[in-house]
Amino acid sequence: MRWRSPDFWSGLALAALGGYIVVAARGWDYLTPDGPGPGFFPTWFGVAILGLSLALVFTSGKGHLADWRGAGRAFAMWAAFAASLALIKAAGFAVGFAALTYFVVAVMYRRPALVALATAVAIVGAFYLVFPLALGVALP
Amino acid sequence: MKTLCIAVAALGAVMAMPASAYQPSRPVEAVVHTGPGGGSDLLARAVATMLEKERLLPVRMQVVNKTGGGGAVAAAYLAEKARDQNTIGFFTGVWLTGPLTSAEAKVTLRDLTPIARLVLEPALIAVKADAPYKTLADFIAAAKERPGQLKQSGGSATSRDNVVRQLLQKATGARWAYISFPGGGERIAALLGGHVNMMVIEPAEAGEHIRAGNMRVLAQVSDRRLSGFPNVPTLKEAGFDVPAVPQVRGVVAPPGIPAENVAYWEDVFRRLTRTESWRRFLADNQFEDGYQNAAELAKFYDQFTDRMRTILQEAGVKTVR
Amino acid sequence: MDIAAGLMNGFAVALAPANLLWCFVGVLLGTVVGIMPGLGPPATIAMLLPLTALMNPAGAIIMLAGIYYGAKYGGSTTSILLNVPGESASVVTCIDGYQLARKGRAGAALGIAAIASFVAGTFGVLALMLVAPPLARLALAFSSPEYFALMALGLAMVVLLAGRSLVKALLAMLVGLWFAGIGTDVFTSTSRFTFGRMELLSGIDFVVVAIGVFAIGEVLANMEAREEPQALPVPKGLRNLLPTMQDMRDCRFAFANGSIIGFLIGVLPGGGSTIASFISYGVEKAFSRRREQFGTGVIEGVAAPEGANNSETGGALVPLLTLGIPGSSTTAILLAALVLWGFKPGPLFISENPSMFWGLVASMYIGNVMLLVLNLPLVPLFAQVLRAPVFVLYPVIIGLSLVGVYSVSSSLFDLGLLAGFGLLGYVMRKLDYPSAPLILGLVLGGAMERALRQSLMMSEGSLTILVARPISAAMLACAALILLIPFFARLNTWRLRAMEEENK
Repeated sequence: MRWRSPDFWSGLALAALGGYIVVAARGWDYLTPDGPGPGFFPTWFGVAILGLSLALVFTSGKGHLADWRGAGRAFAMWAAFAASLALIKAAGFAVGFAALTYFVVAVMYRRPALVALATAVAIVGAFYLVFPLALGVALP
Repeated sequence: MKTLCIAVAALGAVMAMPASAYQPSRPVEAVVHTGPGGGSDLLARAVATMLEKERLLPVRMQVVNKTGGGGAVAAAYLAEKARDQNTIGFFTGVWLTGPLTSAEAKVTLRDLTPIARLVLEPALIAVKADAPYKTLADFIAAAKERPGQLKQSGGSATSRDNVVRQLLQKATGARWAYISFPGGGERIAALLGGHVNMMVIEPAEAGEHIRAGNMRVLAQVSDRRLSGFPNVPTLKEAGFDVPAVPQVRGVVAPPGIPAENVAYWEDVFRRLTRTESWRRFLADNQFEDGYQNAAELAKFYDQFTDRMRTILQEAGVKTVR
Repeated sequence: MDIAAGLMNGFAVALAPANLLWCFVGVLLGTVVGIMPGLGPPATIAMLLPLTALMNPAGAIIMLAGIYYGAKYGGSTTSILLNVPGESASVVTCIDGYQLARKGRAGAALGIAAIASFVAGTFGVLALMLVAPPLARLALAFSSPEYFALMALGLAMVVLLAGRSLVKALLAMLVGLWFAGIGTDVFTSTSRFTFGRMELLSGIDFVVVAIGVFAIGEVLANMEAREEPQALPVPKGLRNLLPTMQDMRDCRFAFANGSIIGFLIGVLPGGGSTIASFISYGVEKAFSRRREQFGTGVIEGVAAPEGANNSETGGALVPLLTLGIPGSSTTAILLAALVLWGFKPGPLFISENPSMFWGLVASMYIGNVMLLVLNLPLVPLFAQVLRAPVFVLYPVIIGLSLVGVYSVSSSLFDLGLLAGFGLLGYVMRKLDYPSAPLILGLVLGGAMERALRQSLMMSEGSLTILVARPISAAMLACAALILLIPFFARLNTWRLRAMEEENK
């Protein structure tokens, strides 16, 4: 096994998950008089996850240099998405989604601020037109 | 003398109250815990239509679906809307049993404001038409001969189907297995396919199968015989001293609303249950009128949950409250 | 009433101008609903129920049924163009459909989806008409042991979906099983893996996971590149705007496969279009000459599942109309609608209301034709969506995802889950874990566990029930065979290598 290869780390993480599942499953009945209890299935697939992930760890090949720049952009995008959800909860769909759109256009794709603003407003407007008005679907 | 003074003062206070009490001014939100098309959703929509038709409400009633957690999400939503005067909720039995078994379902009916109980849903005990049991006593006798080998299909362990089974088992000493199927269609399919021996089924679901001759009804789980089934004995008539466990549906409101709002809603629903449309609705769906006002509902809730807790514990289901 | 007479009668009903109109309204609405991710036929039908009280029942059921199978046509659109499953059954279409779009063949994919849907949909109606009552009786013989075997067969498909690393595919599937286990155990009312949150009491909705992992994950992955002139190549020229004759020939088996499997699974109460599309896809891959290419944009990989989820609607109507048993949430609402109009769906429904039944059947033929005519010309139009600049397309995808998830549960918590699954989807993509097995595990896990426990309760603890019954034994044998395929393949390579060594 090679240290610091992605498979190594993901294998470890999954092994931890498998371990957690098995431990949690011990809190429930494995077998009840009527049949297998709530702990039956989780125990088995927990063990399977544990076993397979350890196999992954031990057979993990060489690691490759991660594209950190790209990954960074993706994570930034995700952080923006999560933040926009908080904004939606606080201020409603229009504000949160518009902010997210602005972020995507202006920051991710480096378009001028005016274009970003216009796009944000247009898309939000379109959503409001299509969904609540035309289809009667509630927006967050 | 003192009493007389107090009485006069009280009378004066009452007469001084404003004549027009609470009336909703915005559309009322009716929260249900099922998705569109589910039992509660259909009931709420039917009620909304009837209220509009009978002009019992000056505003519209809008159904809002808050699904999840078997009622827990809807109940929590109502609890969050404390003191909101334009929201009510339609509850069913799962709102009562959920908090008993799930630690996550934190909001009980007592945490909200009970308004009224509306319907009781009776049930039937049915077997496949070619089964050797002609009466419920036959089935119980067969179960006693082969304990644990006969099977019943039903909903979850906390559903009314299992409660009926627990009560019957306790009263007669017979024992039979219970297999949970999440969907009503699957339960019926299991019975008709011969994979289980008996099930507790709602009259509306059973009607057609009985007419087609695929199912036979052994007994009714209700206090009085239903009009659609005049020849089927109730549990008590069949000789089993077991309470007819109802499936209930009713109305609640968020906590902290003023007493006059409660009185207003109570009144609206009381008048609804006296209308012709309501009577027709009950007959069409084979429900029983179970109207109780707010105070009676609160008492019913306490009795029901106490009894349910005991039954569940005896059934081996872990209760958390 | 014999079939020919019934059908004549039915066409007379279905071709009445009012009913034709309702049919058109229904299929149009269904297509739109199917395109929108998250919003599905159950919600739409429920919302229209009060309106239908004013219509004549024949027209009403024709319209509602139109929404039902129309949605299956539309569901593939966003799956192919944007990797956002429009409907739970369209998830499988994303796998090859989106890859085809990336190769510039979006038009062909959309077209084949429409055609497969038409062929299979018509087959479904035909089968409904011809074999409904006897098949329904047969379906009753299907119970928990058979369901378990079916699910096991489905999960064995993971092997076929594995791609490069079997271990990773299995791990993804197991994680999917875990997701399926989150919620309340129906047998004992115990909460599992809910972390104290009541929103998790009823488990994680499949739509949230699918949209999160597929759509959001894809958007995040695409964000890595600083600049992309155009998100996806726009199909140029008529050749790429519609499927070619070669495509149609390639899909011959897929058409048959999708039609039959979809219908059979639809007949089972509780079987769903998602399972149908997965199994159909797996079977297609197993029997295909170019099975290694599946997942990279193979046209049959779109035709099979799309066909399956359409003929499944025909199948699902079988238990509804012949026994009065609803097999899925949509058919449950249709049942409620029939009751609302004063009908009594059950074993006697067809014989007592022949004109309703035959009218519905005839309208489904007409509806399928309408949908084909509606959808095919729209294909080039839809493909133009890809012209939109990236920075418009991605926010729109995100917005659609948000609205779609919210429309299912009106819960901000689910939106949070969406974000979480989006991250998971991205990470899985980077670490080379296939996402199809995850979805498969999620969809089948819960059903499989329930079926196993139900079976053991039926047999009072003995596992032999699973092999004592012919149908379940047969399916388990198939599943075992599928699982052994890679093993045999490896044995073969070793053997060949050993022979080489010897000859040196």
